[in-house]
Amino acid sequence: MKRPWQIASLIFVFLSLFVLIHSFSYPYKDRLGPGPGFFPFWMSIITGLLSLGLFLQTTLGKSDPTEKSSFFPNREGGLRIVLILASLAMVVVFLNPLGFRVSLLLFLFFLPIFLGVRNWVVIPILAVAGSFGVFHVFYYWLKLPLPIGIFGI
Amino acid sequence: MEALQYWMQGFSVATLPINLMFALIGCVLGTLIGVLPGLGPAAGTAILIPITFNLDPIGAIIMLAAIYYGAMYGGTITSVLVNVPGEAASVITCFDGYQMAKQGRGGPALGIAAIGSFVGGTFATFALMVVSLPLASFALRFGPPEVFALLVVGLSLVTGLAGRSLLAALIMTFFGLLLAMIGMDPVRGAPRFTFGVQDLYDGVGFVPVVMGLFGVGEILVSMEQPVLEVIKTKLSDLFPKRKEWGISSAAIGRGTIIGFFLGLIPGIGAIIPTFLAYVVEKKVSKHPEKFGTGVIEGVASPETANNSYANAAMVPLLTLGIPGSPTLAVLMGAFIIHGLTPGPFLFKERPDVVWGLIASLYLGNVILLILNLPLVGLWAKLLEIRYQYLYPGILLFCILGAYSLNQSVFDVTMMVLFGIVGYVFRKLDWPLAPAILALILGPMMERSLRTSLEMSGGDLFIFFQRPISAVLLILAAAILVTSAIRLMPMWARKESKN
Repeated sequence: MKRPWQIASLIFVFLSLFVLIHSFSYPYKDRLGPGPGFFPFWMSIITGLLSLGLFLQTTLGKSDPTEKSSFFPNREGGLRIVLILASLAMVVVFLNPLGFRVSLLLFLFFLPIFLGVRNWVVIPILAVAGSFGVFHVFYYWLKLPLPIGIFGI
Repeated sequence: MEALQYWMQGFSVATLPINLMFALIGCVLGTLIGVLPGLGPAAGTAILIPITFNLDPIGAIIMLAAIYYGAMYGGTITSVLVNVPGEAASVITCFDGYQMAKQGRGGPALGIAAIGSFVGGTFATFALMVVSLPLASFALRFGPPEVFALLVVGLSLVTGLAGRSLLAALIMTFFGLLLAMIGMDPVRGAPRFTFGVQDLYDGVGFVPVVMGLFGVGEILVSMEQPVLEVIKTKLSDLFPKRKEWGISSAAIGRGTIIGFFLGLIPGIGAIIPTFLAYVVEKKVSKHPEKFGTGVIEGVASPETANNSYANAAMVPLLTLGIPGSPTLAVLMGAFIIHGLTPGPFLFKERPDVVWGLIASLYLGNVILLILNLPLVGLWAKLLEIRYQYLYPGILLFCILGAYSLNQSVFDVTMMVLFGIVGYVFRKLDWPLAPAILALILGPMMERSLRTSLEMSGGDLFIFFQRPISAVLLILAAAILVTSAIRLMPMWARKESKN
């Protein structure tokens, strides 16, 4: 886990540098006291120092020989993760144009198939219940506004 | 006398049929959240906040609190039957609970956990009733320096006790504070770090972040090894053997005390009380070598401590406005969404909410006991749902919850992004709890720091000139130094040997 820790701490070093530079665009002090730039300035400096410290500690320290877990998933696990993220990305893209019911119907229909289910009775039932059924409960009964798409559903 | 009046008022609110129904629904949903793998109490509570939008604030808070302590018990079921904790505090229950299930004694393990949870939760609620009023009156004396120092203690505790690297935990705390700076400056009201994005003017919503880090992130991690093996065990007999009652009662008593006192410390989290309860039980036992092989006190004490802690942790939340765990941070967010600010002023402004909630905790503990003893078999059945159906279902509710907060796809996007972030941090083994607490406490911390410095004309010594804040800051430093020493290689090795 040494290399992922080094990369993660370096990302935090750059993130804090970004925040530090951006904090200069807000006044550090105003006539009443510390201004909007005060907190970001100090927070970014402390985060940067801590991240640098962790980077050095990880780089100079020995790897833990008892470490068993790997940072990267195996091939099948990785594929499942990518499929879930891709399905979620599709929902984000289609939620407003297609509406809650249609986009979630597609999500709940295809995701179990992507994950290896081939039960053609259960999948459609769950997809309809999870999209149209849940919409009905939350939109009509619990009065939560949910998106209705271009097809009016 | 005044306290007695408040208690009566609380019970009159909590026993209204509608509020009893909300407590019952909350207990059922909470247990469900605790049972279902891939959905921890923090994400579960966050997902269900939108359900409460159109409810009266008291009913909403009663239901969300019931979800919180219901999930604490629900996590036990997966620990005992699958050897996978449904939530972090149930880790220790796996040691003896799972062994008992393997020996065909899953019923008594779950039964004693339910009884212990009831006793611990009820005692802690009674103590909460007694201590909250004086503590809230005391907290009214706190000015900005004391509030800042108290927040530093809370964050130091959650940081110092989390993870295997203090530096990584500190970075996570500051990551949360950096996220908290996005949006309106809490003192002057000017936008910061919004980069012209309208959706960021209100800041990074903690609910999508919690759902992402704890819900989506957890599902992504479990996708690597998704199959859970449920132990087939006898669940018809839920009560321990006659000779085990004595040992269990003493263990429940010790677990109650440990859970309660540790719950009073903001930021300590639910894991420490359960571990400490287990360690104490092992120390006082006549046969410590049997721990880990399926002894009933190894389940009774930590499970009692867990629920005693869960109820006691309401003390810092209600009296000081400081949540002690990510789930309580979500609950605090729910208070704010419903126009209520937890803290000493809430006792004056909305005693009906505070005392109604406290009284509902009593009733909730009874509901949980009634609900869980006969329904253990049903909860166990839920564990047999295939992950290919379960995880899309959980994600559906995550999407629904994130969207309905502001009717914004932006929040759903944030949830997915923080899901990836949560996955990466889990794989790195960097703790998530400090980031969440810092995100929710960040604006309060910045406000109290800057107001303190305005009061002193920029002099930092204001924090050391006032006795309460000085003591608290020294305590925070001591916590961090102790944690640093504890995590030094030579000590860590010694500890792991022990």
